[in-house]
Amino acid sequence: MGLIFGSIPGLTFSMALALMVPFTFGMQTTPALGLLLGVYVGGMTGGSVSAILLGIPGTPSAAATVFDGHPMAQRGHAGVALGAAVIASTFGGLFSLLVMMLLLEQVAAIAIKFGPAEIFALVLFGLSTICGMAERSMLRGLVAGTLGLMLMIIGLDELDGIARLTFGTVQMQQGVNLLVAMIGLFAVPQIIGTFLDFGRVEPLKMLADVRARLPTFGQLKQRLWLMVRCSSIGTGIGAIPGTGGPIAAFLAYDHARRFDRQPQNYGKGELSGVVAPESANNAVTGGTMIPLLSLGIPGDPATAVILGGLLIHGLYPGPMLFRTHLEVIYALYVSIVLAYVVILVVQLWGIRIFVKVLSVPPHVLAVCIIVLCGLGSYAIRNSIFDVYLMAVMGLIGYILQRVRIPVAPIVLGLVLGETLEKQYRTALIMTEGDYAVFYTSGVALFFFGLTALTIGLQIFSSRRRRPA
Amino acid sequence: MLKATTLARRVCCTVAAVLAGTTLGLAPVLPALSADFPKQPIEMAVLFGGSSATIAQILADSMSKELGVPVAAVSRTGASGAVGYSYVKSTPPNGYNIVWNSNSISTAYHNGNMDFDYKAFDGIARVGMEVPALAVRTDSGWKNLKEFAAAAKKQKMKVGVSGRGAFTHLASAALFDKMGIDVIYVPYGKGSAPVELLAGRIDAALQWPSQFKAQVDAGQLRVIAVTSVERLPVLPDVPTAKEQGFDVDAVLWRGVAAPHGTPKDVIAKLETAIRKVVTGRDFQERAAKLGFEPAFLGAADFDKFIATDDSVTAKLMSELGLKKKN
Repeated sequence: MGLIFGSIPGLTFSMALALMVPFTFGMQTTPALGLLLGVYVGGMTGGSVSAILLGIPGTPSAAATVFDGHPMAQRGHAGVALGAAVIASTFGGLFSLLVMMLLLEQVAAIAIKFGPAEIFALVLFGLSTICGMAERSMLRGLVAGTLGLMLMIIGLDELDGIARLTFGTVQMQQGVNLLVAMIGLFAVPQIIGTFLDFGRVEPLKMLADVRARLPTFGQLKQRLWLMVRCSSIGTGIGAIPGTGGPIAAFLAYDHARRFDRQPQNYGKGELSGVVAPESANNAVTGGTMIPLLSLGIPGDPATAVILGGLLIHGLYPGPMLFRTHLEVIYALYVSIVLAYVVILVVQLWGIRIFVKVLSVPPHVLAVCIIVLCGLGSYAIRNSIFDVYLMAVMGLIGYILQRVRIPVAPIVLGLVLGETLEKQYRTALIMTEGDYAVFYTSGVALFFFGLTALTIGLQIFSSRRRRPA
Repeated sequence: MLKATTLARRVCCTVAAVLAGTTLGLAPVLPALSADFPKQPIEMAVLFGGSSATIAQILADSMSKELGVPVAAVSRTGASGAVGYSYVKSTPPNGYNIVWNSNSISTAYHNGNMDFDYKAFDGIARVGMEVPALAVRTDSGWKNLKEFAAAAKKQKMKVGVSGRGAFTHLASAALFDKMGIDVIYVPYGKGSAPVELLAGRIDAALQWPSQFKAQVDAGQLRVIAVTSVERLPVLPDVPTAKEQGFDVDAVLWRGVAAPHGTPKDVIAKLETAIRKVVTGRDFQERAAKLGFEPAFLGAADFDKFIATDDSVTAKLMSELGLKKKN
């Protein structure tokens, strides 16, 4: 169920979950819990399908998967990418479950130490990865990143309730939704390109030969250690309330690229670029369960809905749940494992069907994608305004592509900017404007150091490259 | 070529817009709409996520059974509710488009987020209330508001709320005003205030009881007051602020409203359906688990109630310097 919602862009799993909750009222506690969790993890996994096949992330968490997943599909390796995505997802999910079972108390204790100042530092570190995403020119990457941050500012500010850059309209107060922007920036320029090429360029040959090849055991084994590291990143990020899937996926993606011997392959269809974000975003599912179960605090909107579902059944997650309803906790563990088994089977079997999409001529496919884009943009917030916004973003995306400004940093700016700004301001409000909070915290200092290191290394390497 | 494709996209959007427009526009064409109401599905706009959206879902499901047509709770979030209110206001007043409303109608207007106020809607029924609770860490040693106030006079307290101008901010401002203390309001949003309180980064948090429940049971947090006039069934041992000598009555109400001008008999039918649901045992049980207090009020009383509440909110917001001149 979650798989379906996850693969349709715009129908996010948070929404699917909200729709599911009423169905669970009449059920017993265990099946109800199973259904909700199934939708949650299924949605997280399913988001990768459209990201890889169509270049439209099904959920914000799958955004990082587009960078390498979609190029792989274009080269005819959709089966490998999809297979790797689902296997990495399952691995990440089960890994985080294991962490959750064994280290619940410990992880929760660490996660709670992340206050606004620490999260700000962490997110700033994430933002520094823009350097890596700017393929050729650092300047162009920074321009794009700044554009993303500017887009993020539009709308009603959550802390002060002040409308920014809305030109006095109510619609603009909604702000630029991340998914709408992503659909516009990633999918639309491609469609425009397809139409422009139509009649001029012969349809690519490789599309006629789409076979559902799965990743080989060796390919996966090579990346086992990467999966472990990215799953840890995902679990950790998930456990910190106020972060979430997209941030984890981007950090993991960057991590994989940075520690690879051939970072230049990323963005062109590198398998590790699929494995890393997918294992991380699914590891988030287990991570978010940690504060939910141990503290009764939801880590992201999706777990907030799950919390609602639990409350309806009279279960108050928190330290007491382990004492009073241990059987529920075990049911929860089993449901997650079961959900992943089902996902693995369904997805691996489904890949044969999914890849058929690519044998459709590109211009025909493009028309279908337009419809999907429109539908998805509308469905996110039931707002026709978002459809127009998506179209505008698409045009901007196309123009940017023409002047060779990468769109990925824009998305990164949008994803991270909101958290970055909010946490920074909250931290300062708390101390009444005393900046000491940023340098008295060890955790914050650690991430500031990493940020400086990343930027420094980038400048160093681009300096060295220039004379050559 | 580029022009052609954008044109195609435009056409696509327009078609979608026209389709949406005609579906909405259909309703007023139907003759004698009030006598045989309801004949088609009813859409209830939900402006926020979280537990209030869950209550809206439960209400919508049960209303479907009462009315014999589907009642769909459709999420139209954003801009502190202004997006959803604007949408419902723009629909024909025939009862097929209703809104799950709350105090946000007043706060969004006085904040300057929208240019119309509660008068743009006719109340159908109040469904219930949510009461904010003030929590502190157990190890802080503060057991009631007096001890908290005494400590706050020595050192400025940091209090977590949901956002500037949000209801939890207004309610805590009303409370601390009566207590005569000045605090730092730390806006969080998305419900992370309880974690921050647990971690010791803030001294107190005014949030919803269900957010504290788990930690209260575990003995980590202590709720020292609720801002309603009567005690809450979920927190029977917690005294109200009024009992502790600070006369505050700040509760978040939720109900259902339709665009202004909706026929009286249509409102009456919806009101009857909602009354049956809200006074039913099923709804009461579920609501209690979510920390929501069912408190039905009929259409006429609800309108008066909103009007009174709006003037109270306006006064409070101008005192806090949050009110925009409209």
